[in-house]
Amino acid sequence: MLILRRFGRLAIVFVVVTFFTFFLLDRAPVDIAEVKAGLNATPENVAAIRAELGLDDPFLVRYLRWLVDAFQLDFGDSIVLDGFTSWDLISEALPKTLELMILAEIIAIAIAVPLAIASARRPGGWIDRLGSTSAFGLLALPSFVLGIYLSFLFGVQLGWFPTIVDDLPSIFSDPFGNLRQMLLPSITLALNLVAVYLRLLRSDLIDTLQEDYVMLAQARGLSDRRVMWRHVLRPSSLNLTTAIGLNVAGLIGGALIIEVLFAINGIGRLAIQSVILNDFAVVAAIVAILTVAYVVVNFVVDVLYTVLDPRIRHGAR
Amino acid sequence: MALVEPGPTGVKTGAEAVDAAESGSDPVMVETGRRLGLAFWLSLVWIGLIVVAAVFGDLLPIRDPEELGIRTREVERFEGPGRNAWFGGDGQGRDLFSRVVAGARPALVLGLSVTVLAATVGAAIGTTAGYLRGRVDAVVALLVDIALAFPGLVLLVAVRATYGNSMVVFIVLFTVTSIPAYARIVRGASFALSEREFVDAAESMGATNRRVLWNELAPNIAMPVASFAFIGFALVIVAEGGLAFVGLSLDELTWGQLISEGAGDIDRHGHVALIPATVMFLTILAFNLAGDQIRQLYSPREVATQRRLTTIGEHRPRVGDATLHVADLRTTLHTPNGEVTAVDGVTFDVAPGESLGVVGESGSGKTMILRSIVGAFSLADVTRSGTVDVTGVDMLRADDGVVRKTLGTRVGMVSQNPLSALNPVRRIGDQIVEPIVFHGVAAPGPARARARDLLRQVGIPAPDRRMREYPHQLSGGMRQRVTIAIALANEPDLLLADEPTTALDVTVQDQILRLLDEQRTRRKMAMVLVTHDLAVVRGFTDRVAIVYGGQIVEVGPTDKIFRSPRHRYTVALMKSMPDLALPSHSELAVIDGSPPSLLDPPSGCRFAARCDAADERCRTVAPELIGAATVDDFDRTAHAFRCHHPVPVTVGTGDR
Repeated sequence: MLILRRFGRLAIVFVVVTFFTFFLLDRAPVDIAEVKAGLNATPENVAAIRAELGLDDPFLVRYLRWLVDAFQLDFGDSIVLDGFTSWDLISEALPKTLELMILAEIIAIAIAVPLAIASARRPGGWIDRLGSTSAFGLLALPSFVLGIYLSFLFGVQLGWFPTIVDDLPSIFSDPFGNLRQMLLPSITLALNLVAVYLRLLRSDLIDTLQEDYVMLAQARGLSDRRVMWRHVLRPSSLNLTTAIGLNVAGLIGGALIIEVLFAINGIGRLAIQSVILNDFAVVAAIVAILTVAYVVVNFVVDVLYTVLDPRIRHGAR
Repeated sequence: MALVEPGPTGVKTGAEAVDAAESGSDPVMVETGRRLGLAFWLSLVWIGLIVVAAVFGDLLPIRDPEELGIRTREVERFEGPGRNAWFGGDGQGRDLFSRVVAGARPALVLGLSVTVLAATVGAAIGTTAGYLRGRVDAVVALLVDIALAFPGLVLLVAVRATYGNSMVVFIVLFTVTSIPAYARIVRGASFALSEREFVDAAESMGATNRRVLWNELAPNIAMPVASFAFIGFALVIVAEGGLAFVGLSLDELTWGQLISEGAGDIDRHGHVALIPATVMFLTILAFNLAGDQIRQLYSPREVATQRRLTTIGEHRPRVGDATLHVADLRTTLHTPNGEVTAVDGVTFDVAPGESLGVVGESGSGKTMILRSIVGAFSLADVTRSGTVDVTGVDMLRADDGVVRKTLGTRVGMVSQNPLSALNPVRRIGDQIVEPIVFHGVAAPGPARARARDLLRQVGIPAPDRRMREYPHQLSGGMRQRVTIAIALANEPDLLLADEPTTALDVTVQDQILRLLDEQRTRRKMAMVLVTHDLAVVRGFTDRVAIVYGGQIVEVGPTDKIFRSPRHRYTVALMKSMPDLALPSHSELAVIDGSPPSLLDPPSGCRFAARCDAADERCRTVAPELIGAATVDDFDRTAHAFRCHHPVPVTVGTGDR
């Protein structure tokens, strides 16, 4: 029931976002038919293309047609690159962006969770002070500045990683070669998240540590480690889970910059390129895909929520 | 979710500190009345430099930022930083210092315009929304969802394509995207404000409207906005930088563009990207620091509280066969406000099968006695001294593993609030099984069978079903039964019950007390029953210790003390109980005043300030515990008290 309600809500988000995207792109003073016809086109050519694409139809008709096609993964042809559909370009770029984002999340969680636990164990201790100060500094570091620092230090000075991703092998066929190239971009993208997650989880852990049931668990002679992992972490991870879901949109923005910095041919670079070339069909397709991604991740987060907190499952909260 | 909520005063008294530590809700101390620190002023100096660069950049005696080195022959291509060009030259021999200075102006113009506009509009929306609730909230939540999912990129594309990429377009664009954040902050602040009593209080005390506005509203709304303005300023610079970096920004020379230009040459000429990147980082850091420092002015920051448990002094071996032997136990909490001695030289013991009541007002330190026995203090820096001996184990000094094992297998604990005593996200069965398996008492399989049996013993029907349920599916009384089942899981010799019925319905209270009593008798457990309810003490304990200001002021067999209390605090307590009023004092009385501050306890009798019989001696000389229950000469049946002017023994009761 709850899941159904959430699903309906997310469907609304999808329709509203794509509608406004379509609307905004429609308002832009760029004639898609002219772009597609090329520089030497005659007015007749342009008119023919316009008729073929159905550009003379009313706005709502065009949006609905696009929406119906979109559900079949048909986002139309690229306006600029002849012979490519929008989906061709996206399916080529998507895996790299996905890998970047997933790696970044894994790295961020792998660093933030143990650090938050160590910090919460001794608030004001040296780990906590170091962590809080670093988090503060990291939040002031835009990803392109951080990326330049990391690339200069690990790429140029130490020479551990390439500073440019070039001819990326698949992570499945050559995981080592793939990670050698993708690690630096992923870490760059992850460090900002570390700061956000660390602050959030640390504060929730400290709140949970003061709960009666934690005191009682200690009084039962359970080890600190067991108390922390079994009694404190899970009830404290609800806000973190939400943050991970909500961060997906921000992460896409971050990935865009990382892709430019490290020359990764992912969705972000494709989006910028399409924007600069006025390839609106691809832009709309990317927006649709990203919105779906956002919606799906948040749906998964909602489901995960009910797993983490039985009170939500039973509607007690 | 906030770690520390600002309290009305921010300063805790000793009793409050103990209360906080006892309830476990807010032991993290706060301090207020801080001023802006060095970091703030350093940040302002840096921001000042940026402002100077932005305003007077044209007038400074520096090179033209667009002048190519090829023409002037003053700066080499990719020249390193040095005396000729402080920041070096870029790929076309342009002076990087001049370019960084030139980049300050668009950053500042954009940041300032957006901050002022968004804060103004956001504040207007926020205050309106702060007073409209319910359905509005649901709509707002949906809008937030959409706004978060909506790709800023698309907005940017459409706007750029329609209106170009001039400064005005970017100001409008960033303002529109920043408004929600300001609106949310103002909404939250005015939301909280309308529920705070001090605004009403200030009004009722005759303060003029302007004073209320200035003294209460301004700091409570203006400060968060001012704080966020600095951070929002930084966010605008970051956002512009990001767009410039990917080539979608303003058609002006900005830091982001400089970084973007230099990024391609990072392999050989790192300084071209690193220098503008660092200037940008320092600027963002300065704005963030300034914002953070302002935030700390109004939201009390937590003070470093080490979670530490230390022991000093010597162990005194127990006398006889007592299950629990406590001798001269002293527990000191090291708080930012000073040392709080919450337990001050407490001595008692409990024999197998015996029940000892510990009675006192809240803040008297009675719960701290139990916490000191098990050594669980959540987040606090605590020092214990004296002796806590459970079945022969020195609980203060023994090896960690030995103490844990003893806690797990010899001691059971029941706490005050059953609603918070169980982990909300774990199944009841798992929570009962955990200590059994963890301490190796039984394997998981047999442990589950035992858990079912325990649930049956504490009177829970359908234990199989209950094992699979979560705490929220049970009533308060049922949950307390589960807590008791967990406490009994490893057949403890000692049961510590901390106000086990306070949070329950009156009808359930008696059932739970009977259950505890029945289990104690059947299992020959020693029990310590902490309560503020003398009726409970009379009904369910063999002996009683009255606690006041962290000390035991009277201790002895329950019937003796009820027949003939000697300490004046005990008498006052009894007079305040409706059904226990002594025959000679039949009217109900409340004890005037409040318990003494344990931060700075009075030098004489701790009850002197509230005692009718107190004289000069009471106020200066602390009374000793008179009776036989001293550390060296332990007599369990003795009736001892700590008073210079004890109540005379009631004639004809046969007491001694």
